[in-house]
Amino acid sequence: MTNIIDRRVLMRALIVLVVAAAASIAFGAWGSPAVASTVDTAVAHASAVSSETVATAPQVDTITQTAVEPDEEIGTNRYVQQFINGIVFGLLLALASVGLSLIYGTTGLSNFAHGEQVSLGAMLTFFFATQQPVSLPFVPVEFTIGWPLIPSALAAIALAAGTGWLQDKFLWSPLRRRKVSIVQQMIVSIGLSLAMLNFIQWWFGAERRRISTSIDTRIDMGVFTIGQTTLWSVAIAIICLAAVAYFLLRTRTGRATRAVSDNPALASASGIRVEKVVRLVWIMATGLAAVGGILLALYDNAAAFDVGARLLLLMFAAVTLGGLGQAFGALVGSLVIGVAVEMSTLWLGTDLKYAVALGILILVLLVRPQGILGRAERVG
Amino acid sequence: MSEASVETPVIVNADDLYAGYLPGIDILNGCSMEVREGELIGIIGPNGAGKSTFLKSLFGLVPIRSGSVTLGEDDITNLRADELVKRGIGFVPQSNNVFPSLTVKENLEMGTYQRPKSFKEQYERIGELFPKLVERKDQRAGSLSGGERQMVAMARALMMDPQVLLLDEPSAGLSPDRQDETFVRTRDINKTGVTVIMVEQNARRCLQICDRGYVLDQGTTAYTATGQELLKDPKVIELYLGTLGA
Repeated sequence: MTNIIDRRVLMRALIVLVVAAAASIAFGAWGSPAVASTVDTAVAHASAVSSETVATAPQVDTITQTAVEPDEEIGTNRYVQQFINGIVFGLLLALASVGLSLIYGTTGLSNFAHGEQVSLGAMLTFFFATQQPVSLPFVPVEFTIGWPLIPSALAAIALAAGTGWLQDKFLWSPLRRRKVSIVQQMIVSIGLSLAMLNFIQWWFGAERRRISTSIDTRIDMGVFTIGQTTLWSVAIAIICLAAVAYFLLRTRTGRATRAVSDNPALASASGIRVEKVVRLVWIMATGLAAVGGILLALYDNAAAFDVGARLLLLMFAAVTLGGLGQAFGALVGSLVIGVAVEMSTLWLGTDLKYAVALGILILVLLVRPQGILGRAERVG
Repeated sequence: MSEASVETPVIVNADDLYAGYLPGIDILNGCSMEVREGELIGIIGPNGAGKSTFLKSLFGLVPIRSGSVTLGEDDITNLRADELVKRGIGFVPQSNNVFPSLTVKENLEMGTYQRPKSFKEQYERIGELFPKLVERKDQRAGSLSGGERQMVAMARALMMDPQVLLLDEPSAGLSPDRQDETFVRTRDINKTGVTVIMVEQNARRCLQICDRGYVLDQGTTAYTATGQELLKDPKVIELYLGTLGA
């Protein structure tokens, strides 16, 4: 792996993370009186779960967002807690960002509709988990769904990945074949994003939907606590990201994907079916976005139709911060953004947390224009 | 030099090609070429004559509007590049000819993408031709010098074990000693039985090593003869070779 991701670059990425964390903790120690009144979102998150009345019926309900009072837990360190929350959020964000980065790398497209793929994952899981009769158009079959979470999630991921295949087959591939410029394609993606957003809202309504009704037990890790479901989500995210890394670095098709990202014309001249690789990337990217959406819905207890749209700028920030088109850059960028977003709430209002992330993006790009893992190429 | 004669079968035949990048604007205006098995063909001509376009049209990278290209008995006009690779044609572009984020070894692996089982055997064979690349197998291709990249590009194309190799200005941007090395290597590759079609700006050096040369002018084939004949042709000397390097 080290021959692909330069050791020095990896070290730099780690240093950025460690310095950000250390600075946050140090700054927090000086400013502790000021932060005493801030809401510990992680603890609030825990209390939100425990204070909610959970339906015992298999049918999934809708919830409304309620203000939650902070509930200090003895032994937890708010800075460590927020840092861990940031890592968790970063990992979940990475699931969506990696796909966005792969699409950009292989096609040059900044896909503004990627956020809706995240929403689609969460909303389709809600759909499959809700007990209701379903009939298919043109097929005289009616059946009832209301499946448990895991089969619902798997069905949602498969369907979302299928939309990636459909999109590339009937929209993006014909546009590429007709040599439609990247800017025009980007505008198409904005239109698609709006269409998908409205469609999802029309289908599922504007309420926040819960995809799981089980109570998330908090596990005390000494200086921080973490929900059992969150721990599972983190494990799934790490497994998915490791699988993507393995695919890109160790498999023939993965190396071909990187080759297409580098130079599609040369990849074609090497005998690689570029269109096939791009199709696979679309399927992977939309599937990963769906996984991200489902895990985010679990992490936040619920998700609305615009959960992905709200994250889109953060995804772009993560992809740009890590290095445009670099799948591993998207991972590192997401972690930095995740930590920045969560830790900023210690000192600033939660309304400003996304602004902090985008501020960090600007600062890093001023110092390192190619992003954290982006590499300046030798000329000549 | 290889012993290609009139009895040797024709492997590539381009007949009266019209091609161009933009609709309605032809760069090639009736270009023809006949290449026999095992030949080393040099294509020279002034800037804008359509040399690179001709090579790219053979490889399906520029759409052919009229005319035909055959490989042996098969019509390969406007086939996709990956189809042509499957049929045994390798192409080395003039620039952007490596995958910068891939290591040298991974770049070579891409050469055997369609026949992954042959990688080990081809890697050993190429390792003997380009020992420097084996030494740098784990280095990112993007960090190599221009000459080294050119070497990787040629080696990648040879990993396909092609019957025909298309080289687009392989000496462009290289220092004189590296240029010499490139020409010698091209000759060596041809000696192993690979038919080579090479476009070159360094016309004199190209004609010195090639069996036959084609001189292109304004998208048409202006002259064709053996390399040695073209080197001595007063018209070619006056128009394309100049007298300084003679």
